[in-house]
Amino acid sequence: MLFFVARKFLYLVPVLIAVSLLTFLIASLLPGDLAYTILGDQATPETVAALRRDMGLDQPIWIRYFGWLGHVLQGDFGRSFRTGQTVLQAVSERLPISFELMILAEIMCLAIGIPLAIVCAARSGGPFDRFMTGTAFGMLSVPTFLSAILLIYLFAVELRWLPATGYVPFGEDPAANLRFMVLPALTLALAEWPGIMRVLRSDMIATLQEDYIALAKAKGLKASRILFVHALKPSSLTLVTITGINIGRLIGGAVIVETIFALPGIGRLLVGAIATRDLIILQGVVLLVGAGFVLMNFIVDMLYAALDPRIRHGHA
Amino acid sequence: MTAAIRGRTLAQIFHVAAFGVALAASPASAQKQGGSITVGLELDISGFDPLKVGVFDTAAGTAAAAIFDTLTYLDDKGVAQPKLALSWTHSDDFKTWTFKLRPGVKFHDGTPFNAQAVKENYDRQKDPANKCRCAFYVAFINNVQAPDDLTVVFNLNDPSVNLPAIVSPPGANFVVQSPTAWKTKGADYNRNPVGTGPYIPKSWIAGDRMVLEKNPDYWDKGRIYLDRIILKPLPDAQSRFASLQSGEADIVWDDEYDADNIQRAEKDPKLKVHTYAGSGAAVAAFNTKVAPLDDVRVRQALVMALDRKKMSQALTNGLARPASNPYGDGSWVKCKDDGALPYDLEKAKALIKDYGKPVDFKMLFTATPRGRAGGQVLQQFWKQAGANMEIEQVDQATFPPRAFMRQFQVIGWRIVDLADPDVQMYANFHTGSPVALANYSNPELDKLLEHARVTADQDKRIEDYCAISRHINQQALWFWTFQNTYYAMSNAKVKGLPKMYSGVIDVSRVWLE
Repeated sequence: MLFFVARKFLYLVPVLIAVSLLTFLIASLLPGDLAYTILGDQATPETVAALRRDMGLDQPIWIRYFGWLGHVLQGDFGRSFRTGQTVLQAVSERLPISFELMILAEIMCLAIGIPLAIVCAARSGGPFDRFMTGTAFGMLSVPTFLSAILLIYLFAVELRWLPATGYVPFGEDPAANLRFMVLPALTLALAEWPGIMRVLRSDMIATLQEDYIALAKAKGLKASRILFVHALKPSSLTLVTITGINIGRLIGGAVIVETIFALPGIGRLLVGAIATRDLIILQGVVLLVGAGFVLMNFIVDMLYAALDPRIRHGHA
Repeated sequence: MTAAIRGRTLAQIFHVAAFGVALAASPASAQKQGGSITVGLELDISGFDPLKVGVFDTAAGTAAAAIFDTLTYLDDKGVAQPKLALSWTHSDDFKTWTFKLRPGVKFHDGTPFNAQAVKENYDRQKDPANKCRCAFYVAFINNVQAPDDLTVVFNLNDPSVNLPAIVSPPGANFVVQSPTAWKTKGADYNRNPVGTGPYIPKSWIAGDRMVLEKNPDYWDKGRIYLDRIILKPLPDAQSRFASLQSGEADIVWDDEYDADNIQRAEKDPKLKVHTYAGSGAAVAAFNTKVAPLDDVRVRQALVMALDRKKMSQALTNGLARPASNPYGDGSWVKCKDDGALPYDLEKAKALIKDYGKPVDFKMLFTATPRGRAGGQVLQQFWKQAGANMEIEQVDQATFPPRAFMRQFQVIGWRIVDLADPDVQMYANFHTGSPVALANYSNPELDKLLEHARVTADQDKRIEDYCAISRHINQQALWFWTFQNTYYAMSNAKVKGLPKMYSGVIDVSRVWLE
């Protein structure tokens, strides 16, 4: 296992370097000049040139990249030229909100997806399975913004059960915090449960055809015991991967969901940085989110290996 | 006195007394003290330090109107009234203005508000070393002097007959900030603003909410009613409206491109739509130095091919008001004849035919869904007249440089709602100005702009501005699509909202019924 972790860790380093390089290049190659953005309406060719010189923007791109990477490695991701906040300040203020949103969404997504998958697998080919598979397919094609607006209309405007927008920190009032989080998390979960359900369903159908299941049936074990004890664990390997990949999709979804529900998370920070051309914040946030995603996949790989010995020995 | 007469007299006395009580009580009883209000803004607030944020957008302006004071404010007729300045005088040439300040005012940090503080605000914006993004907007001020504690003197580069109105908006340039605060807080000042205004920032979670509480020492506390103002950025128009409907927000910003919701709110007795028809307009400029737009026939044809009512219907359910000059209904400039070219498709076709060559050009828009929609509508009108326009969309950061470097054929732009047309009209049309986007120079037009700037008589200025409009319209240098209209929607118990100058929702003096 140790060798496996070390090998995976070695892969991790070049990936992280690639993420940093891409982040830097994307932010540098975007149209628009940082000096122009900072100077605004009063920019003249002379003042732009002077500021570019001051900020080192006239240096070759690889010198700028290494300069930037050097600062990043020392924990200095830069400071927004608009708000004066450092990237780390801005991210640390908003990360817990996005994190909470994603965890809640993931829990809801699993809570919807797993039971449905089990029932569908147990009655594979039956009317319920066909109906749910169709519904899942349909739900995959509903854009997040649409389900968000529909949920707001139903639960906030018509029924008045939950707030439409806003946020209360968990530390201030946990119950209120959850009330504000339910609709955004449900919106994200609605987009993700079909994936979970479809994968787990097909894995379980395969598992249910294994010899040991037939043996368990022959022994007269209860159907529920066979499903939950004997079939679920071996079928959940792919589920771990899907859950890991889901995190990446949830980050993408959070950008839309946080904007619609006015949650002050990382997604909103990113949208704001793009709208105001705050390249320092943009660069920092994309790098941190990218690196976080890579690390998350690393952890999923580890988990996967822990669950299935064949993987850490390179047989699967 | 008989009983009947006595009874009638008593009744009369009662009526008079009741009327008197009603008169005396009506303003006081209507304006209730206390309560809090939640305002839904369309944008996150970046901060309040002009060196960092440049000019305030409407979201920051809404907060700034509560946190800061300006020297003057505009009443509902658009006339400058005393605020931090009590009175003002000017030199004969309108190049020097002297303001007498209100005594005994303090910033929220306890430091005194005085002439030196006002001077330092302008010095800081104008210092080239500070590279303030806001500097362009105070370029007309040469320097500000503070001869004594309560006297501020503005020395201007060019005469200005309406300076007290020009310095009235709660924008980055004209709100008075505490010099002690920005000096001691440094980079943190941007998010920790200190003013003299009626409300003090208590907490601010970036992207979520800013909480303002009543300033107990405010100099005008008799006219401040709410205990607390909560400002929440709600960027999505649909969920912003839903927040108003479900009661999480008491008043929300909106614009005519969200026409469905505005029209729904108009029909809802629990809601109220506040609108303000401002001055200025959404406009577009032709680059008159490049073919085919260097030919006046082509420019006139393009303007005459526009049916603004249909445009308004297509883009805003008919809410947007067509514009025929740069001033708008909200301006004091009213023209009997603004020289507007009429919608006349046949004439437009004839002019293009007369030009004799193909009319192909590009128009520059911002890369937003609204930019694209507006572009497509214009494209269709011009196609009917025989001209081919290609839509070019660029992002916000690329847009201004392209404009200032004249790298466009036609460009969408805006004349914002200001108290006086001078600043923008002079900048937009005087020869040599960096934003004279039409690339057009005419001594006659320059003379009119200069005359309007130095003439104190408002009627004469109106004549000048109408002549300017006639010249621009006849030469088709720029064209105007819609007048500026600003919207807010509130629940019906929000009272006392003043005119939303430049789209700023100033809730600092509202009360809840």
